[in-house]
Amino acid sequence: MSPSRLPSGGAVIDRSRPIKFKWNGKSFTGFEGDTIVSALAANGVDVFSRSMKYHRRRGILTGDFWDPNCFVQVGDEPNVRAGHRLISAGIEVSAQNVWPSLERDVKAANGLVGRFLTAGFYYKTFMKPATLWPKYEKILATFAPGGAIDIESTPGRYDKRYSHPDVLVAGGGPAGMAAAIAAAEAGADVMLVEHNHQLGGHLLWGSAEDQKRAASLGARCIEVGVEVLTDSTVTGRYDGSWVAINQRNVAGETIERVVKARAKCLVIAPGLIERPYIFEGNDRVGVMTSGAARRMLNMYGIKPGQKAVVFTANAAGDAAAADLADAGVEVTTVDGRTGADVVRASGSGDRVEQVELADGTVYEADLLVTAVGWTAPTSLANMSGDRPSYDPSAARFFCTSLPDDVLPTGGLAGDGSLEENLTHASATGRLAARRGLTMRNQMRSMTPRASTGVPAPIKDASEPAPLPRANHPELFRSTTHGLVDFSEDVGSKDLWAAAAEGFDSVELVKRFTTATMGPSQGKLETVNTVAVLAEYLGQSIEEVGTTVWRPPYAPVSLGALAGKNSTPHRISSIHVWNKANNCKFIHAGAWLRPDHYGNAQAEAKNVRDNVGIIDVTPLGKLDLQGPNVPDLLELLYVNKWRKLDIGKVRYGVMVGEDGVVLDDGVTARLGEEHYMMTTTSSGAASIWEWAENWLQTERPDWDVRIVPVTTSYTSINVAGPKSRELLLKICEDVDLSNEAFGYMSARPATVAGVAESLMLRIGFTGELSYEVHVPAAHGLKVWEALLDAGKDLGVKPFGLEAQRILRLEKGHFIVGQDTDGLTRGASAGLGGLIKLDKDDGVGLPELRWAADRTDLAQVVSIALDDGMIVPEEASQLVDGETNTIVGRITSSRMSPNLGRSVCMGQVIPELAAPGSKLTVLLTDGRRVPAKIHTDHAFIDPEGARLRA
Amino acid sequence: MAEGERGKPAKYSAAGLLRRGLKGESWPRVWQEHELRTTYDAVIIGAGIHGLATAYYLAKNHGINRVAVVDKGYVGGGGSGRNTAIIRSNYLTPEGVAFYDRSLTLYNEMSAELNMNVMFSKRGHLTLAHSDAAMRTMNWRAEVNKLSGVDSSVIGPGEVKKLVPSLDTSLASRYPILGALHHPPGGTVRHDAVNWGYARAADALGVEIHQQTEVTDIFVAGGDGPQNKGTGGVVKGVRTTRGDITAPVVVNCTAGWSSLIADMAGVRLPVVTHPLQAAVTEPVRAFLPAVVVSGSLHVYVSQTARGELVFGAAVDPFATYSTAGSLEFAEGLASHVLQLMPGISNLRLLRQWAGLCDMTPDYSPIMGFTPVDGFICDVGWGTYGFKAGPVAGEQIAEAIASGKTPELIRNFALERFADGRLVGEKGAAAVGH
Repeated sequence: MSPSRLPSGGAVIDRSRPIKFKWNGKSFTGFEGDTIVSALAANGVDVFSRSMKYHRRRGILTGDFWDPNCFVQVGDEPNVRAGHRLISAGIEVSAQNVWPSLERDVKAANGLVGRFLTAGFYYKTFMKPATLWPKYEKILATFAPGGAIDIESTPGRYDKRYSHPDVLVAGGGPAGMAAAIAAAEAGADVMLVEHNHQLGGHLLWGSAEDQKRAASLGARCIEVGVEVLTDSTVTGRYDGSWVAINQRNVAGETIERVVKARAKCLVIAPGLIERPYIFEGNDRVGVMTSGAARRMLNMYGIKPGQKAVVFTANAAGDAAAADLADAGVEVTTVDGRTGADVVRASGSGDRVEQVELADGTVYEADLLVTAVGWTAPTSLANMSGDRPSYDPSAARFFCTSLPDDVLPTGGLAGDGSLEENLTHASATGRLAARRGLTMRNQMRSMTPRASTGVPAPIKDASEPAPLPRANHPELFRSTTHGLVDFSEDVGSKDLWAAAAEGFDSVELVKRFTTATMGPSQGKLETVNTVAVLAEYLGQSIEEVGTTVWRPPYAPVSLGALAGKNSTPHRISSIHVWNKANNCKFIHAGAWLRPDHYGNAQAEAKNVRDNVGIIDVTPLGKLDLQGPNVPDLLELLYVNKWRKLDIGKVRYGVMVGEDGVVLDDGVTARLGEEHYMMTTTSSGAASIWEWAENWLQTERPDWDVRIVPVTTSYTSINVAGPKSRELLLKICEDVDLSNEAFGYMSARPATVAGVAESLMLRIGFTGELSYEVHVPAAHGLKVWEALLDAGKDLGVKPFGLEAQRILRLEKGHFIVGQDTDGLTRGASAGLGGLIKLDKDDGVGLPELRWAADRTDLAQVVSIALDDGMIVPEEASQLVDGETNTIVGRITSSRMSPNLGRSVCMGQVIPELAAPGSKLTVLLTDGRRVPAKIHTDHAFIDPEGARLRA
Repeated sequence: MAEGERGKPAKYSAAGLLRRGLKGESWPRVWQEHELRTTYDAVIIGAGIHGLATAYYLAKNHGINRVAVVDKGYVGGGGSGRNTAIIRSNYLTPEGVAFYDRSLTLYNEMSAELNMNVMFSKRGHLTLAHSDAAMRTMNWRAEVNKLSGVDSSVIGPGEVKKLVPSLDTSLASRYPILGALHHPPGGTVRHDAVNWGYARAADALGVEIHQQTEVTDIFVAGGDGPQNKGTGGVVKGVRTTRGDITAPVVVNCTAGWSSLIADMAGVRLPVVTHPLQAAVTEPVRAFLPAVVVSGSLHVYVSQTARGELVFGAAVDPFATYSTAGSLEFAEGLASHVLQLMPGISNLRLLRQWAGLCDMTPDYSPIMGFTPVDGFICDVGWGTYGFKAGPVAGEQIAEAIASGKTPELIRNFALERFADGRLVGEKGAAAVGH
């Protein structure tokens, strides 16, 4: 076969605009509107790929988006659908997975041993010797299909859009257009989504009259204000009529986007997909569907061959025969409706040269066109909960039960003349408009607003009269065997062999042979697979059933799904100062936090000697108000909360229902029914959800309102023996004396002139310290005021690293670092804090059990005998010279204040007593002695400093 | 005895392929079809990897082969055929390591043992760390693994880049890769082949596999609860859509519905069912040589022998029995994958699906005896049942045959929820693929 461009014709190409591009390194010219396939065919190219397994030459099968034979590489983009992608100037197109060239591909040798490479052959061999399997594996991987990605390529621009149409129409063929027009005329906001580059559907590859009709319907769509998206596919319908659209022709720089539409009513009008016929040689170059032949002829002005056999069982095939004859192709028609059958295509170079019929007649031909029926693409119906059923008289599937807001029309609904179809579609569009507008009005009525007038009631919006179904012979397979899945090189013989082996249900045969699993997603293959299996089993297609079509309807690029893909960091108001002052940041959840300012050891020392300030804004802060706040606190924390005075602060630990430590922090009582809870930074969001979950699902009768205020405040901890002195300079309205504002108290304050601030006297570092929460907009001002006022006191900023050292010196654990998924409250050294005599509390039963347990690992402070060794965190504690694990180091730092290392860890209870001897297995393999430290704190175990 | 008859399945080999290829002969059935009998020594509910492995080891190790494996669908149609087929043994607790290491050993021997190439691809397994906290956990796992003789170590960004060049290891990235736990023996396996391999081998030993046979009730006598079910009862058999069966042992090897099945025997399980979604891309030439997991980004990815990328994520945050996929999952997944590998934005997502995961309060399975005598559970496998299928089957078979709980699964008994002895693999298993 040698296709060529006809002197005239081609509805979608513009012959006045030539475009140059490259195919396998050679230059070619096509016209604007050409797809890669049509442009190449116009130049006589008939082979676009090699098949996956046997590397046979492959030409046009369907000549559209779904064509499994036309996957190519375009630049750094793999698996481009050349039957759909338009040419553009300068693109470099090449064949995928061939070596050394498309025409001479060495792996074609596989064809010689094809009979040994039956489906699933790899499950049965390459087992001995086992040592060779990795080598076989590498070789097998070279047979994987597909193009190549360029891992260095830079991601282009992708985007998202949200839309709320009253009616969304999937499919811009005649039915889809008519439905959209009717819906828009009825007053609905309508979005019409068409997979191809032009509206028109099958009218586009029809007669001149059909094409005119397509153009006038398209023009009418615009007139009535339908928003039309072309080269866009409705890829899925999800719960709540949430519809995803992949738009591939966004204007400007953006490559693709996903439009997310909350469609009040969805009309599905995807048309029908023509099925290939199964017979010997059906994958030869020159065998194509009637739709492919007509697309080439009527859309692109291409003559697909010289001598054709047209095997037809329907009007589309008859029309293809007529179109071919008109274009000067010598046509022999074989009518499938009369029982005639094609049994074989043969020839050299994987091409068609002869076509043999069931009666033994052999025709010389370079083109074999088949028109044997349709697959109804019921994907969107499936995704809406429908289980389509098979109608043998029409030889295809139909929807059975759709929700009210999903309406099928066009080929999905039935057959009939074009006029009958348009009538059905218009009625469907009106019904969709009524349903969509009804919902719009319902939504409006829920929104308080001035009356803007309600659309006039829609007339004539009854259920459309059902479309007739045309009789169609059930033509799936000839008397010979051929390919079923062209992407996977799986034939009907393979399916039968698999069924004979016991893989005799659709799901099993699919998994065993990989039929329908390729990039065509079963659009061309699924029904044929079911039919071939049904034939083998002697069952009906309905009995064998079909597989569930899953989203997406057409593949979507990861880029489009991700959209702009920006995940911003959260930063505090002090960030700019930190950035300008030599701060090294650390990623902590969503936040960028100051780790240190050059020397964490010096920072930690300065806190103990003078005063330091740290930006602790990410600390979780929840504003709690209402009469039942104490009940909530009592429920969530392991300790008691009913007797907290106004102005006082209490430390609490939360456990999960399994009794495992979840979070810790302090809560201050600010007023009669007003509290401020602080959580760990990592728990800021999850503890809010946790508290809301308990309130909303378990204690809905409680009156508690929670407002997360983490980012409403900038939080600064002022720590060190001179912290009071420092704050005295910039805070005038609080008596900071120890008597008036003691340890574990809270005061509203004005700090550096910033009113409505809050000051808590608490101390994670073990020093006299104040946690100052100021309205976020003024955070930087207060920070700078502290630094300025404290110059003579030696104030220095400190970061998280210094804070880690300080809290470790003090023996304070960090949830999630020193505790883990097994650490119960009691084993975290919280024995005194946990109150088991409460009425209720999250995890209380577990805590009661745990109280009696003697086998739980304990959180302890550990000192290595050699204080100069700082063991790596995660170093294991082992039993002497053995490898038996008895615990591990969870935190470890050099203490600048003690001049030796300090550690925390977990250890089995037998070794948890102060003074117990331990063996630390360092990560370099050395074993060094250590002891459980006498006190939990290495510095100031009595707490004199923080109470000073 | 002719090849393919009971007890002697047709041996799979290159020579066999050659001979049958030349003669144009097809292979005998991978497992036989049977009429459902009215009595068996044991009925196993669920023809997934756990049920089939249990049946196989019952027959092979203990000579108990009057066994029916019943399934409401088809072999391997549930979680066993929907998972992302990742195998590893770099767990966090010594108990976890010992258990999964045994599973890894069984996977290593599986192709030879079952005479079916399960295509175990030991490509290495990387768990990425994007924060200091994650690095600390990786170090912890590496140290535990080292002491347990499991090959895993923490590597830096440079080595990560060498192993997987497509990863963005620049520190400027939003989720910088600070390092990774590298576990060379980890990899992927062809899940369907494992299911079919166990089914075929069990069938050859006399086990009967009954597809399209749904259990609708479990018969129990003498229990304390309603209908004499529940604690203290003795299991008598099951009712199925194809008839009643009498059996002294009924094993619950289901996922997604395990609590409903247990309920039929009057046994309450602390199980909540969540969907877990997964997705696959179009195939491309091999470029991803290892399994890559990122806990912080909730994603794991590997490239199949066919060239597709297979992705998984954390379970959906809500409980449901629905397996409809969501758009948000696909969007989140793409976003996270591109954070790791920005160069693949023009790769296309081909298909998404979901499986059902039965989650227990401590993210660990429930294995062994229940308060109903003869009713045994191997359930609650959350997101990682596939990795453990072989060893779970082996151990449950031993429990049935010996009447005693084997040491390896002692920690996973149902009673632990009544006495507070939970298992601590939450950290390693939550997104630990």
